[in-house]
Amino acid sequence: MAAPYAFRFAFQSVLREKWINLLSTLTIATGLLIITFAVFSVYNIDAATKKLPEKFFMMLYLEDNLHGQGLENVINTLRKDNAVETVRYISREDALKELKGTLKDANYVLEGLGENPLPDSIELKLKKEAVSPETAKRLATDAKKIKGVNEVEYGEKFLSSIHSIKVGLKIIVLTLIIITSAGIIFVCYSTVKILFYRRTDEIETYKLLGATRGFVRAPFIIEGALIGTAGGLLSLIGIISFYYMVLLKLSLTIPLFKAILFPTNIFLLLPVTGLFLGITGATIALGRLRF
Amino acid sequence: MIHFHNVSKHYDNQTALRNINFSIEKGEMVFITGPSGSGKTTLLKLIYLAEKPDEGNISIAGWETNQLRESSIPFLRRNIGVVFQDYRLLSNRNIFENVAIALMIRGVNDKEVKTRVLDSLKTVNLRHRVNSYPKALSGGEQQRIVIARAIVAEPTVVLADEPTGNLDPDTAAGIIRLFKEINLKGITIIVATHNRELFRNTCKRVIRLDNGNLVGEEVG
Repeated sequence: MAAPYAFRFAFQSVLREKWINLLSTLTIATGLLIITFAVFSVYNIDAATKKLPEKFFMMLYLEDNLHGQGLENVINTLRKDNAVETVRYISREDALKELKGTLKDANYVLEGLGENPLPDSIELKLKKEAVSPETAKRLATDAKKIKGVNEVEYGEKFLSSIHSIKVGLKIIVLTLIIITSAGIIFVCYSTVKILFYRRTDEIETYKLLGATRGFVRAPFIIEGALIGTAGGLLSLIGIISFYYMVLLKLSLTIPLFKAILFPTNIFLLLPVTGLFLGITGATIALGRLRF
Repeated sequence: MIHFHNVSKHYDNQTALRNINFSIEKGEMVFITGPSGSGKTTLLKLIYLAEKPDEGNISIAGWETNQLRESSIPFLRRNIGVVFQDYRLLSNRNIFENVAIALMIRGVNDKEVKTRVLDSLKTVNLRHRVNSYPKALSGGEQQRIVIARAIVAEPTVVLADEPTGNLDPDTAAGIIRLFKEINLKGITIIVATHNRELFRNTCKRVIRLDNGNLVGEEVG
């Protein structure tokens, strides 16, 4: 029955202590906006690198005149590997045709060639989940050991640097999220503590009149939740404004920006995140107070 | 209703109350008197559980206070209306809210709060001040608001600590008349005061304290 009063007291306090609450809300909004930009960056980098496995191939160059049983052995050995999705044999003739097709108008560069210099080869496509520097390296080492395989090529440095960037960025963003979230919780914690101390006499009177701990605590928890949610809503408005007023306008002139994804569903979680962090901060603050 | 059995209370090296024994029955009106520092306020604080006794037992309406869990204290306090010496009015809330808070704490709904607060303010003749703030009221009016807050939840006992301390004799007499009227409704009243004029000719029980000792009882 006292619950409606808890909400009423919380709203009254938000209005009465508007400046301190406004300051806290803006600080929380800034913190959440930092998190949002970090998540936004990782989301887009992740989306861009997700296409990488589809385009990743490993090329195995074969010894000259490897045909029949020898070639079949190579193909069968490769097919047995769990990381391999498809195995495609490309004869030196087909390879030359593909090269000519790729060069198109620049075909004249091949005119001076007498004999076809390209070797027979096998193109390996890896399973999506297997495209990692470790698996690719292991597969390349194994493939080199197969009789008839002369050389293996797969852009080792490119793959490992993309992977390192991805992992590094995720660690940085995760660290940033943890630190910023802790900062937001601390802001809510401090705000509730200050508000509590400002109302010590009032709270003492409530207690002497028969108020339970729940009656005293509830408005502070609600107030923490309110400033957290308000901070979340402000950051949501901030990121939406950034998208429509900056990114969309930029994409009209710079095509690269058209590829940027805006994860609306994730951003709608911002007020909920603010609510959660606000309640957490308020609960910690009240837990540490003796009353 | 209220029983003190060998109750003592000490603060640091000073004894505030020493081996106090008395009983107050339901519906009684009792004055606790004595000079400043005799232990009147401490005695009231022990009743509304702002303090705990160092020795002895206190029983209030069947509740043994030394066996009471911390979480049960608010529920015992809801049986007691307190008129604090320093009023304890909330300066940022109007008179209606100041009185209503005693009912809100008990979870009474809005409609009932309104009716009971206005009734209570009518009892102390301050219904017309419902929207005023404490600062705008005189000392006597503030005192009557505190009484309205103390009785609004219909407690079984009302405690008043020096309720006329800052008031002129006529206003003080008016406050005591008000307590008598409340007492006629069956509510137990305990008034702590150093002012002997207040209980003279009241025909009410008077408990005298001196230097933390109960030194006697008389009829006013």
